[in-house]
Amino acid sequence: MDYQNLFTQTQVIGPENHGVPINAYDQRERSKGIGFNYLLGKMGNAQLGPIYLGRLGVASIIFGALAFFIIGFHMLAQVNWSPIQFVRQLFWLSLDAPSPKYGLRLAPLSEGGWWNICGLFLTVSILLWWMRTYRRAKALGLGTHVSWAFAAAIWLFLVLGLFRPVLMGSWSEAVPFGIFSHLDWTAALSIRYGNLFYNPFHMLSIFFLYGSVLLFGMHGATILAVGRYGGEREIEQIVDRGTASERAALFWRWTMGFNATMESIHRWAWWFAVLCPISGGIGILLTGTFVDNWYVWAMNHGMVPSYPATNIIDPSIATPPFSPAVEGVK
Amino acid sequence: MKKLNLLLIVLLGAVMVLTGCERPAVQKSQNGFRGTAMVDVQNPRINAEKAKLNELPPSTGAASAEGDKASKVYQNVKVLGDLSQAQFTTFMVSMTNWIAPTEGCAYCHNPANFAEDSKYTKTVSRRMIQMTQNINVNWKDHVQGTGVTCYTCHRGNNIPQNVWFKENPQNATGTALGNRNGQNQAAESVGYSSLTNEPFSKYLLANNPARIIGKDGLPNGNKHSLQETEDVYGLMMHFSKSLGVNCTYCHNTRAFSDWSQSTPQRAQSWHGIQMVKDINNTFMNPLTGVFPPHRLGKEGDVAKANCSTCHQGVNKPLYGKSMLADYPYLAQAYQTTVVAEVKAAAK
Amino acid sequence: MAMLNFERKYRVRGGTLIGGDLFDFWVGPFYVGFFGVTTLFFSFIGTAMILWGAAHQGTFNVWTINIAPPDLKYGLGPAPMMEGGLWQIITICALGAFGSWALREIEIARKLGMGLHVPYTYLVAVFAYFSLEVIRPVLMGAWGHAFPYGIMSHLDWVSNTGYQYLHFHYNPAHMLAVSLFFATTLALSLHGALVLSSTNPGAGKTVKTPEHEDTFFRDLIGYSVGTLGIHRVGLFLAVSAVFWSAVCIILSGPFWTRGWPEWWTWWLNMPIWH
Repeated sequence: MDYQNLFTQTQVIGPENHGVPINAYDQRERSKGIGFNYLLGKMGNAQLGPIYLGRLGVASIIFGALAFFIIGFHMLAQVNWSPIQFVRQLFWLSLDAPSPKYGLRLAPLSEGGWWNICGLFLTVSILLWWMRTYRRAKALGLGTHVSWAFAAAIWLFLVLGLFRPVLMGSWSEAVPFGIFSHLDWTAALSIRYGNLFYNPFHMLSIFFLYGSVLLFGMHGATILAVGRYGGEREIEQIVDRGTASERAALFWRWTMGFNATMESIHRWAWWFAVLCPISGGIGILLTGTFVDNWYVWAMNHGMVPSYPATNIIDPSIATPPFSPAVEGVK
Repeated sequence: MKKLNLLLIVLLGAVMVLTGCERPAVQKSQNGFRGTAMVDVQNPRINAEKAKLNELPPSTGAASAEGDKASKVYQNVKVLGDLSQAQFTTFMVSMTNWIAPTEGCAYCHNPANFAEDSKYTKTVSRRMIQMTQNINVNWKDHVQGTGVTCYTCHRGNNIPQNVWFKENPQNATGTALGNRNGQNQAAESVGYSSLTNEPFSKYLLANNPARIIGKDGLPNGNKHSLQETEDVYGLMMHFSKSLGVNCTYCHNTRAFSDWSQSTPQRAQSWHGIQMVKDINNTFMNPLTGVFPPHRLGKEGDVAKANCSTCHQGVNKPLYGKSMLADYPYLAQAYQTTVVAEVKAAAK
Repeated sequence: MAMLNFERKYRVRGGTLIGGDLFDFWVGPFYVGFFGVTTLFFSFIGTAMILWGAAHQGTFNVWTINIAPPDLKYGLGPAPMMEGGLWQIITICALGAFGSWALREIEIARKLGMGLHVPYTYLVAVFAYFSLEVIRPVLMGAWGHAFPYGIMSHLDWVSNTGYQYLHFHYNPAHMLAVSLFFATTLALSLHGALVLSSTNPGAGKTVKTPEHEDTFFRDLIGYSVGTLGIHRVGLFLAVSAVFWSAVCIILSGPFWTRGWPEWWTWWLNMPIWH
């Protein structure tokens, strides 16, 4: 079988690459350690490191680690500090948001206060990391496209954990820190607010999510398919179009009647990926604040397909619900 | 060599995933319009196991109603007094088989003096008989003509295998860390999800509405929280597990609350909820003082019923076979004289 | 003629799988080929069937059109046209069109001297469709288990199919697939951003090099996969996401009938800690 350009057959080890030089201060922030990994080299670059430490990065890691350990120790406490039970029950354990009765106040530590603190530390960590992506790009004279893409994801994160709970007047609406518990939150949100499939921004977000997977499948495959012409040298191909770009473009033009260029495909990519969290965040923000039941909302906008009615009547109309007698009831 | 290692890893993963799975050839039935995927999916192998646990106990048939009334023949007969002697004794034997097959008559009676009320089990069982009659007479909306007997819940056990007790909501030591918030633990009660572990106090004992979904598209005063939604979801997981069905047995999940898209089973189940509230509040709770401490829960509360107490994993208890033909008096109304005695015994 | 300024030299004969020179031509920018003809054939019939179904339903509202599969009682046999037969014909046309599309992509790639990565990737996506509409219904014994053709109605099917297993988020293959979907989107945003940041550094600045790209990611996270590697990673993530999605739905029903949270009891009950 011919070589399919999926795994590197022959790895060439050269001298360590210390990166494009920046100013002397920043050079000192780069770590010393550089290694090579054979398995990584079969897929892409083999070199590991150096990493740029920096004040923003270190601060971000500290806040992030604090958040991580708050969650971890809370979970450990939930299983009475047994490491075995911690591993066994890990997916079920969770640091929950405060109960609705606390509104937007800081809850007692034992009833959600740790969630507030952890959320704050995690937010600070993420914002510091965002600033790091911006600084590193600027220091190297690059555009700041990575930072603005990251900002779209941060928008969704803040909607889920800050903006929407504030608009709803309660931290209890926010997502818990836990594997299964955050999935329970997702299902509960959809159940409570009338089926999120009928939320048009949810539809858009999924469109961009699936679209992104489609696009990366298309783009990854296309570049690998023209690897024999140097297709992966995208920057060079952008400023000086070669046969790789030409064949790639024509493949798609002949297939579907239109095509991108070596540069513009990356704009398609950036926008599709970025619009997923942006529209998703809008959809979440509107849920509960401006729309209480998306199914009914969609019905009012003529979007709901009809199935034959089952003619079942609500039994509580004819029969009152059972009410316990006053005495002896909790 | 590397390909072989990779293959072995993939095989190991596949084995791990598949040993957790079931062998195919499943049975399904359609609950809704075609293409909506409202389908009941059953594994015949699992159901064959369940069928073994849902066979009717042996019965000697209906006893004759002729002859003297039990209240005349025996002393201190407070319930079922107007049964014939044959019916009464047949019922006693059956009830012993259903509830105390190993312990026999001595589980409730003093063998030296059957009329005596020295054992708490006798007081409890009088009330339970009335509870059975109440269910069969007043809750036909749920149990239809099939009805229940002691066996429906007890199945040969002193205590039914599926009862529930209240839990201490603050599982943790009350310190700053480690509060489980009544959830975040794999509990069989909620199908091993991490939802609220004990949703029964709220909905099958107290009278809280499970209707948390709003009726209007735009906000109109619906203040139910996500936590309440998870409580109801946990309750619904219990319903599904207790009946061995899935959510689409009752609902079209695109609009859970819409009755015009729900199946008849949803209406029947609504009556079931009311019935369980009646059982727990009118019959079980007042018996709390009668039971000895070892029969009570950690919070000192009495054992209570939920759906799995009768259903035990099947959509109709005992697959819908009725035992009432042989015990028709269990479907007759009772007089309320026993309640005062129960209250006295509780003190 | 709708040709790009460099296109003419690439329009050569050859690369076809079937038909030789008969359909080896272009219409506007589109390549035809034998499989272009079959694609058009299946697409036309399938679309006509959909419009017929919509007319029968009495609505052309794009949100509410619904062509549903047959009742379960028809099993794997053919159903009356307006009781699911239409759905069956549309499905055959869809598979015909998707298969034709893949084969046409193969012809185009061969003509352009490219590897076959694109059609193979596309076939993985077709496999996902095939799993949902053929493999799983066949394993469960009825076409009625497949999803209907309709924008909102297919989402109603997703909701109910998910709740058949009480809490579908707990399906481990689904968890893996969703994570891969999100990871692919993350990787795509990073790749698009990185290339654009090198070629669009700001007014008056020079275009940067792959060394800058590598340095940026090494500074940021200590590793840069490189220009070739990112395309391998992206393709792998995308294909894996689709693969595990197909696995997660084939498991549900044929190989698991209870709630998905209950599947995890094998872990909870392992002898070492039970």
